[in-house]
Amino acid sequence: MISIGLLFVLILYNKPLSDIKKSKADITLSAQDLIDDYSKDELLADKKYVNNIIEIKGDIFKITADNGNSIIAFKNINGESSVLCHMLPEENLNVLKLKKNNPVIIKGICTGYLLDVIMVRCVLVNN
Amino acid sequence: MKTGYLILFIFLFVNQLFSQEKYLTKDGYISFFSHSLVEDIKADNNQVVSIIDTETGEIAIQLLMRSFLFKKALMQQHFNESYVESHKYPKALFKGFILNFKEIDSQNSDTEIKGILSIHGREKEINTLVKVEFADGQINLSGDFKVEVADFNIKIPAIVRNNIAKIIKVSFDLQHKPYKK
Repeated sequence: MISIGLLFVLILYNKPLSDIKKSKADITLSAQDLIDDYSKDELLADKKYVNNIIEIKGDIFKITADNGNSIIAFKNINGESSVLCHMLPEENLNVLKLKKNNPVIIKGICTGYLLDVIMVRCVLVNN
Repeated sequence: MKTGYLILFIFLFVNQLFSQEKYLTKDGYISFFSHSLVEDIKADNNQVVSIIDTETGEIAIQLLMRSFLFKKALMQQHFNESYVESHKYPKALFKGFILNFKEIDSQNSDTEIKGILSIHGREKEINTLVKVEFADGQINLSGDFKVEVADFNIKIPAIVRNNIAKIIKVSFDLQHKPYKK
């Protein structure tokens, strides 16, 4: 009994980060709405979005690379800030097929707002 | 932490009139490492914003605590919810100077950074060695320093006290590009 309990504790303790690809999004919205919400009230937007799996839709503004991982930035028609989606490395091949202005759906975890809204561990969602 | 953003904003735009020499990164790297007899814990943050004013050597660094990624889900959850309380203090901020910035060249690339680090609502003066490299029009800063968990009023529960070091090593690698508006 104790060993089963201990095993359970060990499994729970060593549980890896959740699989974004398999997880269902908590919130679905457009990239523009996400930026607008953050521009209006950062604290309120943090409460709503941070630490949730979010699925956002929009047109690509820019694709950059950082240490071999790609970062997709969305357009913002109302200002300078963007949504920066830091993609998981396994998405690299799929990201290579994308270009500026392509419409995409991206799922990831929102961590908050610096100069842009930051999304981490992002994956592409197929239409 | 609204003020943190304000400081960064002022830093970015207000003294634009006086100098055009700003270097920026939005995907800088900062990690921390805790070594204990029980286990080693490492977390990486690849979303660090950092701005250098090359006229004055002034530097401002900002990051989101929730952007630190751990290997284990439970560690990340405890870090954010219980230790650094990311819901209350979502950002860490460093504001300071790269000393003797104007004298740095390829032969003489080591200098010091001095400034104030704010984490978990507490401020602490940091003074650390930094390697400065000018390459491909970029300014790269790298180095590491140690912080004491207790200095930032971060409380570690007794049950995991042996799992988490009292002194944490912070490493940084920030590659700034010229900032164009």
